[in-house]
Amino acid sequence: MNIYVCIKQVPDTETKIKLNADNTGIDTAGIKWIMSPFDEFAVEEALRLKEKNAGSTVTVVSAGPVRVVDTLRTALAMGADNAIHVDAPETADNYRVAKAIAAALKKEPKVDIVFTGKEAIDDGAAQVSQLIAEAVGIPYVTVVLNAEYSADSVKCRREVEGGAIEVVTTPLPALVAAQKGMNEPRYASLPNIMKAKKKEVKVLKESDLGVSDADQKIRYKNLQLPPPKQAGKKIAGDPATQAKELARLLHEEAKVI
Amino acid sequence: MTWQTFLFLIVAGAAFGYSVYRFSLLFKLLKAQQGKAPVRWNEIPTRVIDSVIHVLGQKAVLQKKYIGTLHTIIFWGFIIITVGTLEQFASTLYQPFNFSFIGEGPYFYLLWIQDLFTFLILFAVAGAFYRRLVVRPEGLGQSRDANIVLTFTGSLMISILVMNGFHILSPIAASHADAFVVSKHVASWFAALGFSPETNENLGTFFKWVHMLLVMGFAAYIPHSKHLHIIAAGPNTFLRQLTREKGMRPINFEDESLTQYGAAKITDMSWKDSLDLYSCTECGRCQDLCPAWNTQKPLSPKLLVLGLKENLYRNKEAILAGKIDEVSPVIDENTTQDVIWACTSCRACEVACPVFIEQTDKIYDIRRNLVMMESSMPDGVQAVFKNMETNATPWAFSSADRGKWAEDLSVPTMAETPQIDLLLWVGCAGSYDDRNKKVLRSFVNILKKAGVRFAILGNEEQCTGDPARRIGNEYLYQTLAKANIETLNRYNVKKVVTACPHCFNTIKNEYKDFGGDYEVFHHSQFIAQLIRDGKVKPSKGVDETITFHDSCYLGRWNNVYEQPRAVIESIPSARLVEMKQHHDSALCCGAGGGRMFMEETIGKRINIARTEQALDTKAGVIASSCPFCMTMMTDGVKSKEMLDKVKVLDIAELIDQAT
Repeated sequence: MNIYVCIKQVPDTETKIKLNADNTGIDTAGIKWIMSPFDEFAVEEALRLKEKNAGSTVTVVSAGPVRVVDTLRTALAMGADNAIHVDAPETADNYRVAKAIAAALKKEPKVDIVFTGKEAIDDGAAQVSQLIAEAVGIPYVTVVLNAEYSADSVKCRREVEGGAIEVVTTPLPALVAAQKGMNEPRYASLPNIMKAKKKEVKVLKESDLGVSDADQKIRYKNLQLPPPKQAGKKIAGDPATQAKELARLLHEEAKVI
Repeated sequence: MTWQTFLFLIVAGAAFGYSVYRFSLLFKLLKAQQGKAPVRWNEIPTRVIDSVIHVLGQKAVLQKKYIGTLHTIIFWGFIIITVGTLEQFASTLYQPFNFSFIGEGPYFYLLWIQDLFTFLILFAVAGAFYRRLVVRPEGLGQSRDANIVLTFTGSLMISILVMNGFHILSPIAASHADAFVVSKHVASWFAALGFSPETNENLGTFFKWVHMLLVMGFAAYIPHSKHLHIIAAGPNTFLRQLTREKGMRPINFEDESLTQYGAAKITDMSWKDSLDLYSCTECGRCQDLCPAWNTQKPLSPKLLVLGLKENLYRNKEAILAGKIDEVSPVIDENTTQDVIWACTSCRACEVACPVFIEQTDKIYDIRRNLVMMESSMPDGVQAVFKNMETNATPWAFSSADRGKWAEDLSVPTMAETPQIDLLLWVGCAGSYDDRNKKVLRSFVNILKKAGVRFAILGNEEQCTGDPARRIGNEYLYQTLAKANIETLNRYNVKKVVTACPHCFNTIKNEYKDFGGDYEVFHHSQFIAQLIRDGKVKPSKGVDETITFHDSCYLGRWNNVYEQPRAVIESIPSARLVEMKQHHDSALCCGAGGGRMFMEETIGKRINIARTEQALDTKAGVIASSCPFCMTMMTDGVKSKEMLDKVKVLDIAELIDQAT
């Protein structure tokens, strides 16, 4: 099988986010970059599928500035065979990235299945996976908890609102977006880390993919950090007094009732 | 050539030939090991003296009085009696031979001391049997092999005494009959039997043959037995780690010929590891002190060694045939993953071992393979590695917040004040853990009161890498170690002090291998020195009974026992009491060897066992000198619902309060 995984490089979860000087994005200085955790599930799922189907290859694709190559190498170290770096600007939005990646996938000789995370943990937009599938013209299933694969279809159990599970079967090729719990991503073994350092990463420019600034749909004008959390208030007194005081505060100070 | 000479040549040739053949197989097995052995051919004079002390002097064996004394008797008796056995063999080949050429007087005493030791060994064997069969110490276990060895030894002595008894009553009775102080009593009993002198001579000869056949049987038996230690333990002692301080052996990742990291198979270990396995006498001293074994975990250092030995022997045909591919994995039904992950690397086993086996090396080697080659590790460890990779700390905190604990303390960073006497290495616990941040604040107070010019690295500090290394991720360890050494060398740091024994051990003993050479102090040593120099004067009394919990990486790994105690005793009206286990026998808190970051799901929790020992002292304060111990002991006291009565304090906090 020809398995593809789209991954995103995001700031580490412990990063203290700061805004850049003109408030149009975040200040990337000093940020530690990691693979978005949902994408780790996607890579792991792809590797497991490959291990069950001899002769398969796993190709990882990531869009962004040159630093995303590090994250591609992380995926190679986990066991992916090939990597494609779609060279896109820092500010590229979901649509632009999806269009570029879809074009990159269409250049590939054969795509049997595409994995992504259900969303990236930085913007949490959950857009790119569906946009890619639409642009490539394949069905997609999102928020997938587990999947059973056959030669020409995939049966997915996906999380829907209210804690229910929806079972969806779709023909291949298709795109599957992984939810947390789909698997336990592996820790790269050292021989694989060493091998990954030497693997070639294919680079595609936006111009090779028919993407340009004109595809940018979102421009950030003025980002603001959320106000710092206020200290909590403890209301004293017997239950009746407490309830009365709470109602007053909600009405007069918080102005929510 | 008499019939005796003829018979002797055949039987001895067969028995010793077989014995030599078995030993040569063991030697070939040892040589076939592929792992890199520690280089220990240095300091030869020291090693010779050390071997004399521990082998001939039996110093380590005598750490246990009862069995140590019995062993010393048997050991020395064995050497002395072997002289007699050689004489016996020689005289069987050529009848007139004896050692009387050394002079009649010395020869008399040689016979005298042989006779005396024959009896003493018999006495010691009885004592050893009594211990094995009646007292039955838990660590010793039941061993058929051991009983066979004791039976051989006892029978050898009895055959000598009986032989001598009959010979004294025979025509060939030597002119030295008076030398046989013990045997002559045996002879007096035999005299009552009223045999003719010729019959006595024949019976004497018969028991001489009994003795010689026993010697040959024993020689053929030894290579299969734990008694192999009589050959292996001497060289193993000679090649021991001479100092307490011992760094883990680095892997050279630049070496592209290396394709296997750690031990997947027994053959991935070194010949020194095999020598360790051959040296084990199954005495169980390691097991008696093992925190894992004593809290019902499957790891016993003794069983680990025996399991690895079994694995080695099981694979001997493949190894000797050079078919390393066919050697079975080192993880087997004896040495399970649970065994390997249970180790806290407290090193009680190594310190207790009378033949200097290094158990932790084997565990580390197996962990390295599991982690780096097979990506197989306990739950939660992967997250620890990822934290260390991205934020240089095992816990999920931002590296940008490392220096935050000191923000209101006006402690300079190296970047701000490179001209200092001392670098304070904070460590991850001191930087991020709320309880241990308080310890660091106290230590900073002490340094300030003493007028020490010091600085911290702030956000430039990274985890030393110790947890990764002990868990088996040497690659991650080296990444962090090299980054830290680069930083320390860039600031030209000479002296380092830290309140964390794990950081202390790593920077002091392990950074050397990567170009980091510093004078490193644990804060207990540094505070003790400040008190000795009068720069810190504990004047406010702490009217408490205090018990000190030894940290493994301070005590057993670095032999620092007295300074933390001196610090506590410097406090007016403080009373120091020891727990049941202390110093080299101290029980680990359960957090070493990366166990801090793993769940403890099997058996009793080690920190509870240690807390119980602390509570037994009735002390009001449990003093600690390690952030991990602090966490474990505090959790222990909390579990025992004793937090309102017993405080867990770091020695720095005690001194800060007292000054």
